[in-house]
Amino acid sequence: MRNRKPVRHVVGAAMALVLAWSSTQLAQAHHSFAVFFDTDAQLVKVTGVVRDFQFRNPHGVITIEVPQGQTHVTWRAETNSPSILHRRGWNSDSLHVGDTVTLEGWRARDGSRYMRLKSAQLADGRMVGQPAP
Amino acid sequence: MSARAFAAVALLGLIASSAPVCAAPATDAVATHPDFSGFWNLDMKVPRDPGLMALVPPNTAFMDDTGPAEFPAGNYGGLILTPAAQAAAKKWNPRTQLTPENACRPPTIVYALQGPFPIEIFQSDKFIVMKLEYYDLVRLIFLDGRKPEADYPHSPTGFSSGHWEGSTLVVTTDHLEAGTITNNGLDHTENMKVTERFRLSEDGKVLMATQEYEDPAVIKNRGVRFIAWRRQSGQHVYPYECDPGFAGNYQDAK
Repeated sequence: MRNRKPVRHVVGAAMALVLAWSSTQLAQAHHSFAVFFDTDAQLVKVTGVVRDFQFRNPHGVITIEVPQGQTHVTWRAETNSPSILHRRGWNSDSLHVGDTVTLEGWRARDGSRYMRLKSAQLADGRMVGQPAP
Repeated sequence: MSARAFAAVALLGLIASSAPVCAAPATDAVATHPDFSGFWNLDMKVPRDPGLMALVPPNTAFMDDTGPAEFPAGNYGGLILTPAAQAAAKKWNPRTQLTPENACRPPTIVYALQGPFPIEIFQSDKFIVMKLEYYDLVRLIFLDGRKPEADYPHSPTGFSSGHWEGSTLVVTTDHLEAGTITNNGLDHTENMKVTERFRLSEDGKVLMATQEYEDPAVIKNRGVRFIAWRRQSGQHVYPYECDPGFAGNYQDAK
């Protein structure tokens, strides 16, 4: 609210409520790592075949198919911001469809097969990119 | 002159020639003050500067979440919420952050500056341009005493005025749009007032800042973060170019 004139307390309190309400409707941001991912539990580690790799901000996403019995399940791992990973040796060519990769990270608190990536390792043992300094 | 340097000079010239508000006489020349120009990367190992922290007013909570760290749900880093803010935070649904509509909505400088992303500063005697890599935000900090127009819009970067107190740059910012404070349900209103103090380390290699928050509609006390960046030569911030399609990956997860 701009150029607001003095008002009575009751009206002011009502305005504060309106402002607080409106801020919840308007104020969204980059999703919270702490709220979305379970940092207290053990890291989850899965190995599978890359089905898709997106390298765009706000997060890259690696989608892999992980064998499970006679079938497979889909896991997704969101990476740190690609603009940050670019300085650590990542680029859009770091992974390709068909690559076998092991992903380790923090699982989503809602239990879905979605994680925040800590590290990615190719089948030949090479790590993708460099660790954070 | 490189193309990038030329573009930066052209940007500064354009800003100077298209001042949107009433300009006051210029103050000190850049040569008499510390030069913050350059590329700065967040450095969380820098200890809090006692001199800067001593300038923080009483009744101010120190919020220790600078960088990748974030407060979990229900933790607001010592900020005391008003009943309205508490009610709003309780209703907050984090899943709404991961929708195509919201995934690329930029935060305001209240949350953006402390993020683990570099900044780049271009400095003149009349204003400072601060480019944040995070969400491609660009701040203008006017040093000539100008005031915003009556209908100046609210935005993620707001309207920033700065002045020098010795070797410390003091910046006040208002005209912010509503945005998150802690990224876990606590949002500030359009009346948020931010006060920042920027100072170089003695060797000039580290830029340190305190960022204070005042918004009585949502927090009864005040908050402050300490942020430090290390100078790195030969680098520039990258384009962020947020892609809202990212959110679909989470929506598809089972």
